[in-house]
Amino acid sequence: MNLIREIWQSIVRRDPLSTDKGKSELVFLNVWLHIHPAKVKKEHFKFNHTFYLGFITFFLFLVLVTTGIALMCYYRPYPSVAYQDMKDLQFVVFMGPFLRSMHRWAAHAMVICVFLHMCRVFYTGSYKKPRQFNWVVGVILLLLTLGLSFTGYLLPWDQLAFWAITVGTNIGGYAPFVGNYIRELLLGGHTVGQEALIRFYVLHVAVLPSLVILLTIVHFWRIRKDGGLSRPIWKLKPNKPEELVTIGATPQTAPLQAVAASSDKTYGLMEVVTGKPIFETVAPEEEEDAVFSYPFAFFREAIALMATVTVVMATSLFWHAPLEELANPAKTPNPAKAPWYFLGLQELVSHSALIGGVVAPSLMVLALLVIPYFDRNPSRRPSDRKWAIWLFTIFVVINLVLIVIGTFFRGPGWAFVPPWVHVVAGAE
Amino acid sequence: MNRRSFLSWGTAGMATLGSAMAVSFGAVVRFMTPSVFYEPPQTFKIGKPLDFAYGAPTFLADEKIYVFRDRDKGFSVASAVCTHLGCTVKFFTNDDQFHCPCHGSIFAESGKVVHGPAPRPLNWFEVTLARDGQLLVDKDKIVPASYRLMV
Repeated sequence: MNLIREIWQSIVRRDPLSTDKGKSELVFLNVWLHIHPAKVKKEHFKFNHTFYLGFITFFLFLVLVTTGIALMCYYRPYPSVAYQDMKDLQFVVFMGPFLRSMHRWAAHAMVICVFLHMCRVFYTGSYKKPRQFNWVVGVILLLLTLGLSFTGYLLPWDQLAFWAITVGTNIGGYAPFVGNYIRELLLGGHTVGQEALIRFYVLHVAVLPSLVILLTIVHFWRIRKDGGLSRPIWKLKPNKPEELVTIGATPQTAPLQAVAASSDKTYGLMEVVTGKPIFETVAPEEEEDAVFSYPFAFFREAIALMATVTVVMATSLFWHAPLEELANPAKTPNPAKAPWYFLGLQELVSHSALIGGVVAPSLMVLALLVIPYFDRNPSRRPSDRKWAIWLFTIFVVINLVLIVIGTFFRGPGWAFVPPWVHVVAGAE
Repeated sequence: MNRRSFLSWGTAGMATLGSAMAVSFGAVVRFMTPSVFYEPPQTFKIGKPLDFAYGAPTFLADEKIYVFRDRDKGFSVASAVCTHLGCTVKFFTNDDQFHCPCHGSIFAESGKVVHGPAPRPLNWFEVTLARDGQLLVDKDKIVPASYRLMV
């Protein structure tokens, strides 16, 4: 028994979790957990402030990586066999449909959760100083998520995949000057074919996931450095904000005394660096409402993780990811639609390809990127930010309405058809 | 090292590093640009003139073209690729127009845009007679809509 205890100690190297020292050491002696503070304030984990959307997005990404690697064992990115492999996954591979459905639904859910997460961060004013740059990182992560979803869309090589990517990449071709060249780089040719499939596959399984992982690390690190998870600072008891101390700030009560340096004094890095850091406005961890991350924070995160995985698994048990017939370049389905999150774009493009496909989305992304630098209002209280909230809500509603029109109200020939009207495709 | 030589060596170093990075970036872009396209040839034979009927155009699915044959004027070949976003248009004989299934563009029989988001008329390709008597289409050669091959 002593040997087992010794082996266990050599792994965890901490005091028992029944002690405060053990609870702290669990966090800072563990490479995976030490992104957390040893102690958190309960308000950082208020569900009705953040809805845990960031956690859920990250957990969905973990589900996607796991199921994605499993699917890679059975998928070959070559047109003549890719679709055959999809059929194998559908009918032959043990748990194939389940894994594929999990991957598909988690991907859709991730797009939705990233978007909702962005809305939450906006409405709670969490992008304001000192978190401006983390908002920018978040916007890039949103674009990468869309990129991952878009590149994954082609891989099944069915009619849905082929035409969604044909339409989607042709939208990109409208970009001035470089549009056609970028399209050619992306497709490795002039039309969606075998070169396009292998390039999309490489982007989907290697390039984009690596970028997402790198930026996610930055995103999380910055949350910790910028004061921890967002909390409803304007709802806290009025004396609370004053209790915050800024590390490096001179205490108001007792001014610093000049102390004669002794010749044998050694300096730590924190003493060499002078001046007030621009980041890390943190609450002192000794405050009475701070609790140890273990178990308070970890329990809540574990619940969010299990809930996320459970919902994805349950959905995949009851609804399987669709697979249409084999891609046929000669026969365009009517109507041909891009992936649903690009249907707002496609709706714009159906009016004007240049304005709808290039100008509007570029302006949208640019607007998102500059929000934290453009919005100079320091207050995070919603009643102080009526204009910002109105503008952002209009932005969200326009996007949603366009997507809903493109998804449910467009029939053959992109004619306006309400979803309750059944249309038999014309002279097909 | 004095200030002058530090600055000149520094400038030279930064310039070298900068150009090395620019060249590397160019090399990456060039690497990703295909040197060979494994795509169907742009020039191909579609058969003898007698294979094509008068009246409604013949659709060749693999080549994505419509072959028109007119009793008085002869042959002309239209692209079936919508100029908007690359979907395949379909010719309807009831109104003699091309309809695009993706965004509702409509083209007249002459290829002109009648309706919808399409920015340009459909392309017309050069069609000639090969030595073996077959019709030869060259998709790299765009011709005016008035182009005809009289056989």
